[in-house]
Parts: sequence; structure tokens; C-alpha cells
Amino acid sequence: MPLRSDPLPRMAGHLSFMRAQSKEIRQVRAGDLAVLGLPFEDTSAPYAGQSLAPRALRETSVYFGWHANPQFSHPVDIDARHEIRTDGLHERLCDLGDITKGHDEEIQTRVKTTTQQISQRGACALILGGGDHLAETVERALPNCQTTLLGGAPGKPQDFQIAPLCDDTTDIYELDTSARLIAFSKWRDKSKPLFVRFDLSVFKTSLSALCDQPRLGGCDLEIVTQWLATLGRHEVSAIMLTGLNPSRPGMGIVKVGQRLMVTALLAFIYARLGFTNVHPDCQTFKENVPK
Amino acid sequence: MTAALTPLNAPLIQPGYRLFDGPLHDVSDVTLGQIGVVGMPSDWTHSSRLGTRFGPAALRKATTIMQSIRPQDASFDPDTGLCSLPVANWLVDCGDAEVTAQDVNATTEAIAAMTEVLTVAGAIPLALGGDHYNSFPACLGYSRGLIKRKPATRFGYIQIDGHLDFSDRLGAWGSHNHATNARRISELPNVDISNMVWVGIAGWVDGGDLELIEKQGGRIFSASDVHKLGAAEVMRQALAHAMRGCDELYLSIDIDAMDAGYLPGTGSIVHSGITPRQYYDMLEALATAPLGGLDIVEVSPPLDPSERTEFLAAEMLFRILHRFRTRPVTAQ
Repeated sequence: MPLRSDPLPRMAGHLSFMRAQSKEIRQVRAGDLAVLGLPFEDTSAPYAGQSLAPRALRETSVYFGWHANPQFSHPVDIDARHEIRTDGLHERLCDLGDITKGHDEEIQTRVKTTTQQISQRGACALILGGGDHLAETVERALPNCQTTLLGGAPGKPQDFQIAPLCDDTTDIYELDTSARLIAFSKWRDKSKPLFVRFDLSVFKTSLSALCDQPRLGGCDLEIVTQWLATLGRHEVSAIMLTGLNPSRPGMGIVKVGQRLMVTALLAFIYARLGFTNVHPDCQTFKENVPK
Repeated sequence: MTAALTPLNAPLIQPGYRLFDGPLHDVSDVTLGQIGVVGMPSDWTHSSRLGTRFGPAALRKATTIMQSIRPQDASFDPDTGLCSLPVANWLVDCGDAEVTAQDVNATTEAIAAMTEVLTVAGAIPLALGGDHYNSFPACLGYSRGLIKRKPATRFGYIQIDGHLDFSDRLGAWGSHNHATNARRISELPNVDISNMVWVGIAGWVDGGDLELIEKQGGRIFSASDVHKLGAAEVMRQALAHAMRGCDELYLSIDIDAMDAGYLPGTGSIVHSGITPRQYYDMLEALATAPLGGLDIVEVSPPLDPSERTEFLAAEMLFRILHRFRTRPVTAQ
């Protein structure tokens, strides 16, 4: 699918993540970033609405689809004065759409199968949740992965919890990122790809009121962006976004949570695709899943 | 132009709110040194999330409510350690400009006509948006008025904003919209890009626009600069740059420079990390700046059900207008 040559209003046209081209799984190639939506939620959760998150994330992501808008030249990170060229993004970022609805078991089977197929093709799945109850399904589909968590419920003992830390005495906001990066390097087994769980609750609550698990303390955007850029330099089988409830009571019009997540995620995407000069050693990945 | 309303023919209670609960008069009644308020309830030049057409009304209501709960006599500001007294007759609300949907030229001329009359009279136009496009007609009228009042005078320009708004065109919206206002202002005859400064820019910007601004001497302070240098220092440098060879300053306050976590009720949110306190510090750093005109834009009440956005924006007006609405109490 070629890029449009005419400007398209943000709210118009076919909705895909960052205006990426729609593909079927069989068209996904090694090195691609394949977006997959999981519009489902835990129906026993205290609030309803997380199933609307994939659409909300796609809607806000269109703002960052510069590569698909011919009127823009090239993006510059004004804070770092860092310029990137997004040439090639359109070829490597694709949107597979959402997993279709069904009974729980059917959904879990589809999630597992699709995740494995993406990985077996050597691509990285960019999964837009949804509730985090399907994260374990994704994890089971990638048994050889190391799991690292940005926010969300505490993981298993073998996982690396970037934030929040389980130690209640640690103030996340004052978290020593350098020390955590060293700890991450020690934990990391580079023979295994990563599964990254990125939950909105990693941010301090003052930055977003759209999280069902508000957290006093938490990280600011800069820290999360730094971590996602770092993770993007590793071999990653899947990154899963969770925790966004775009329709928290009375807050349906407020788009802060999705904007926050996609802004941070951009660092991962650019690093994963090797678009940033500061991360020239971005690895191409080969998947490591059971045949 | 609005019909003249004077105290002699005004209704017993003027309906609705006026900014700072000020009197409602025609622009031609505003005099030297007064603030003349012009509402610009237009958001059809915004490309995505609307609602700023309700911004002027929200600002009028919020400033009036906040004014009513502040001391009406001498008061002490614990931040500055100074005592001050309210000033009378410092502001006149001139109502809203006539907005003609789908006719950008008509709307532009209606807004510009009001700010021009105010500027010629030596008053300071304060325009209430509306989306940020409306900053251009407000500044256009100021520019025209300044040419009539002081033909040789040039003005400096500071835009506090999360975005550059320096595109030449924006997609289907063409050359006159909320992403092109600064570009159109840069084309006015009595301002130079080398006297234009942007403060609070966040995230990713268009590389072409950035290059064009900086090649011509414009200056940009990112949100990171605000965090690293401090709000007051950034604004000190911004003012010094903007005022080189200029006598007056035009200030455009786009509320979206503040982090959306604090202020979600605006069309184009950013995550700048800029807190309300930092934003207010920036405005207070302009306490003695030679303001010739200003606008505040992008307040969109429908996008913030908590209503805190309009009150945060109203506080911005309290800060930037402090020297007009109060006078210091001198020691006896």
C-alpha cells in the first residue's frame, strides 16, 4: 500500500496505528513491527472501559504518523535537539488489526497463535491492550522470553521489574535509573528475547487520570522514555500496552493517558527500528519460540 | 463592531460574565493604559479537538469567581512578600468579536478591527481564544494599530506554547489555522523573526520549521530548557532576545505548554512536564515587560470535565496582569 501524496486530516481515513499500512500475518517480515489490538477486558475489574484502549491508542498515534503526512519534513526531538529520518518506517511498521471476539478460550487461543506467528516470522509484536489479564497468555506464547515490567502488577520472581519496585520503602520518583540499568544488564540474558509489559500505572498519577490503578509516586515521562529507548535496543519479541481506560467515569473526553503512552512508546519504536543515531547498535532480531 | 454600551444605557445587571468582573464597553471607550478585552470564540480553524469556542466565556467566569474570593482591599502576597492594593478601572471587557464560520477572512478582520482600535488608543489588547489561529488576527490588529500610533516602532514576540505553530500550511486547513499562526505573524511588517521567541516547546517538532526559525535568528526554549535553566531564567533570556531593538512586546499565551496531566482541557495536549508553578513563574518573570498586546488561547472547557483547566488559565491572567490590576502599598 503506497503512502498518500495528499494531506489527510487527522480524524479522517482508515484508522491504523501511526497510519501504518494494514497487513495480514503472512505478509509480516523479519524486522517488522506488527501492531495487534486486544480489545478485551477483565469483566470482574472495578471499572469498565479498558477494551476501548486499542482504538484510543490508535487514534492518538495518528498524530505521530509524520511519515505518512507529506506536508511535514522530518521530526526533531526538541528536548534533545535530535533529528531522525523516518524513511523506511512505512515499510516496517504494519497494523494487523484486532483479535476477533469470542469465548475466553477462543480469544486466548487466537492471542497465543497470533503472537507466536508474529514471532516466528522474526517480527516484534506491538500489542495494544486491553486489560492485563491477557498478558500471561502472551507470555505463555513466548516461553523463551525474559519478561520485564514497566508498571502493572508485580511479576514473577524471575522477571525484571523496572518500576514499580516491590520494596515499599523505595520512592519510585527518586529511583536511581543508572543503578536500575546496571541491575537490568546483570539480569539480562542476551540469548533470549524480551517480552516487555508496559502499563500506564508506571507513570505518576499526576500525569494521567485514566489509569484504573492510580499510583502515588511513579515515573515521569522522561524516565519511562529512557527505559523504552533502552529496551528497544534489545531483541524484543513483544511489547504489550495495558492499563489504559479511556472511559474512566466522567473522563471519556480526556485523552491524556493514551497520549502519554504513545509519546513514550515512540522512543521504543524508533529505537527498535534503528532510527535514532543515539542507538546505532539496534539489533535485528531472530525469534526464539518453540517450533 | 459591537454596539456601544455605556454605564448610562447598560442594563441593571449586565448578563453573563466579564473578564475580572470588569465593565462592558465598546472598544472606542477604552483609554490609554487600560486593558481592553476582546473575545474570540472561534475554533473552526482547529484541526482536531474542538471546544475552544467556549474559552472566552469560561475565562470570564473563572476570573470573576476567582476575583470574588480574593481580598478586595490591601493584601499580602506570601510568595513575593509584598503588599498591594486593587486598582480601579484597569480593564474594560469589549465583548466578543464577530465570528463568521467558514469565512476566515471575515473573522480575521473582525478581530483585528477591535485590537487595532484598542492599540491606536494606547490601550493594551487582551484577546481571549479560541484556538491559536485567532492569535494571528489579534496580533494583526495590534500590528496595524502600532503602525498608526508609533510608525517606526517594532515589536518583539514571545509565544509560550507546546508547539511552534510555524507551519506554512496544514493539510486540508490551508494557510490560516492553529498550526500557522506564528508563521503568519512573522510576515507582519513590524516584527522580525529574529525578535520572535518560543518557550515551552515539547516533544517532536517539524525539522523544516525549526531550521527556518533558527536560521533567521528566532529562538526556541524547549520544555527541557525550562526544567534545566529554570522558568524565570528562561523567560529573562527570552525577553532579552525578543526585545532587541524593539519597544513593545506581544505575548501569546497558549495554555497547552503546561503538562496535560495538570491541564487536559485543550485541543493539542503535550506532556511537557511543565507544572502550573513553572508556568506562573514564567509569566511573573514578565512582570516589567513592556507589554503592547497579548492573547491567551486554547482553553477548551468541554475537554476537561473537572473544569480545572479554565481556572489554571484564569490564574495565568492573574499573574501576567498583576501590575495592571494592583499597585504596591508603600511603607509610610
